[in-house]
This record gives sequence, structure tokens and C-alpha cells, in this order.
Amino acid sequence: MSQRKLNIGFTLFMLLLFILVAQLSPKSALILGLGTGLGFVMQKSRFCFTSAVRDPLLVGMTHLTQALILLIALSIAGFTLIVWVGEARGISYSLNVFPLGVHTLVGGVLFGIGMVLAGGCASGVLMRIGEGFGMQMLALGGLLIGALLGKLTVAHWRFVFGEWPGIFLPDKLGWFGTLILEFGALFGLWMLARWWQRKQVGE
Amino acid sequence: MAKISSVFWRGPWPYWVGAIVLAVLNILVLIVRQQPWGVSSNLEAWSEWMGGKIGLISTRNISGLMLLQSSGTYLNLGVILGAFWSTLAASQARFRPIRHRKFVVSALAGGVLMGYGARIAYGCNIGGLLNGIASSSLTGWIFAAAVIIGAWIGSKLLVKYLL
Repeated sequence: MSQRKLNIGFTLFMLLLFILVAQLSPKSALILGLGTGLGFVMQKSRFCFTSAVRDPLLVGMTHLTQALILLIALSIAGFTLIVWVGEARGISYSLNVFPLGVHTLVGGVLFGIGMVLAGGCASGVLMRIGEGFGMQMLALGGLLIGALLGKLTVAHWRFVFGEWPGIFLPDKLGWFGTLILEFGALFGLWMLARWWQRKQVGE
Repeated sequence: MAKISSVFWRGPWPYWVGAIVLAVLNILVLIVRQQPWGVSSNLEAWSEWMGGKIGLISTRNISGLMLLQSSGTYLNLGVILGAFWSTLAASQARFRPIRHRKFVVSALAGGVLMGYGARIAYGCNIGGLLNGIASSSLTGWIFAAAVIIGAWIGSKLLVKYLL
């Protein structure tokens, strides 16, 4: 059980790192703590966005897909609540409402192919590096190269195909309509995932 | 109590427990950072900085100090350290070498495709898919549909060439 001693050492290292970062910026230390929690929980629960999307197609299992749908639903509820409370208190959040273009679709498809080949998406690659996988250490190198190529060409995509400003659904449908639509869609996907697994593996 | 503690440290936790705890942490990140959790945009900033350092591109707007002060860096560093801590706590920490040469190719090619795709679509599975949708952005849903199509193509390639 030499790893038990290593664990005590590493726990002390994390504590020191946390204190050091807190000296520089308490907010960064808090963020580091939350990031550590995210990595810890992803590893402990074997949560992987890639398998959640890939496994239904590859082996017909959708348990993780259903968990991902739960994560998305809870996040929508949480984000909505935070934005509401923030509005009342005059705090504004910069949400991820990104522009939309042909490159959104092309990028998404390439990203989907890449994550299956590399055995993990961006967060999954980081988690597997923490787990010690050589394959994903290499994938991170590829990711950095790809990101640089993307930086050099993204302006061309915008120039050739154009780009529309992102649509924040509550602006079009109101909060009530948005939540109904989003939870309705997620519920539909959840039912579909359950049906798919029964059809594919019969349980 | 001892059993719960053992499952806590050794895992694996059920997927739905993971989903609930990840949702809580995801929401806490939004509160602290005033911006959702994301992975790829920080990696892109690092790649730009490195590209600038070795002279591939000219970087005017990214410095090493900025990266060290960026909250995205601490999130990404945290994910790696947290996953390592988790395996160490379960006495499962070890280096896991690549089993076959073909996985060297697929890791590199997959990584490049992923990095490129995330860059031109402005997000990965976290910032673009999960938190795009959680931000009630239409783009998040469209990106999710594209990722599913890509994963389907990727699975075909996986079955044909890698398994």
C-alpha cells in the first residue's frame, strides 16, 4: 500500500498549491478547487461525454447518456435560477451564447469524429491524463495543434459562409416557453435513450 | 459508514450520482467565475501562446502571465490534478502506456480533428454542448446534433480500423 503514503503526500501538495494560489488570487484558488472537484468526480463516476454519445451507437448502452441528460437538465435549471437571481441583484453573467454558422456544424462533426478516435473529448482527455493514460497525453498534443490550425482558418469560414449572431432562446420564446421546450426536448431524448437500450440490448 | 467511505474513495460511483455532483459543481463555477465552465478556449489560448513562442504565428494578445491569471487554466489544471488524486486515493495510479501503434495515430489524428473542430465551432462538449445548452443558446443544441453525427461517423471508423 505504498500509494496510501503517496496519497498523503499528494494531499499535502494540493493543500500547499491551494494556499499558494490563494495568496495570488482567492478567486483563482476557488476555481482551482472547483476544477479539482470536477476532475475527481468525473474520474470516480467514470463520467465521459464521449462514451455518453458514442456508446449508444457502438454498443447500444445508454445509462451514461441518460446521466448526461440529467446533468444537462440540472444545469439548465441552475443556470436559469442563477441568471434570475443575478438580474435582481444587478450581477450579470456572460453566458455561452455563441454565433452560429456553417462552421458550427462542420466543427461539431469534426469534433465528434475526433473525440471517438482520441478516446475522450477535451475534458475527458484531461481526466485521462490525470489517470495516467499515454494515449490521451498524445491526444492533448494533437488538440493543441488542431486548435492552432483552427485559429489560422476560422476567419476564412466566417468569410466564405457568413455567420449569424447567437440566439438566446428566452429572447425569442420567453423564459417559460424556453424551459418548456428545453425540458420537453430532454425528456423526449431520455425516453428515446431508454427505448434504444431496450431495443438494442433488451434490458 | 465504512462501506460508504470505501465506495467514496474507491469508486466507481453510479452515473446518476456523478451527474448530480457535476451539475452542482458546474453551477458553482458559473457563480464564482460569472462565466460557465469551459475547457477548449483555454487550451486554445495555450496553443496560441506556444505557437507564438516557437515562431509559428504572431501573438500580440496572449502573454504567459495572462495564462497564469486565467481562470480557465485553473479549471483545466484542476481537472487533471483531481482525476490523478482520485486514482491515487483508490491506489490505482500508474502510467498506462499506449497498447498498439495504431492508437498513436488515432490519438494524434483525433486530437487534431477535435482541436480544429472546437476552435471553429467556438466550444467543446463542455463549453459548447453542455453549457451552450445550459445557457439556453440555440447554437448549443445545433452543436450537439453535429457532435452526435460526428460520433456516429467516428464509431464507424473505430469499428473498421481500430477494434
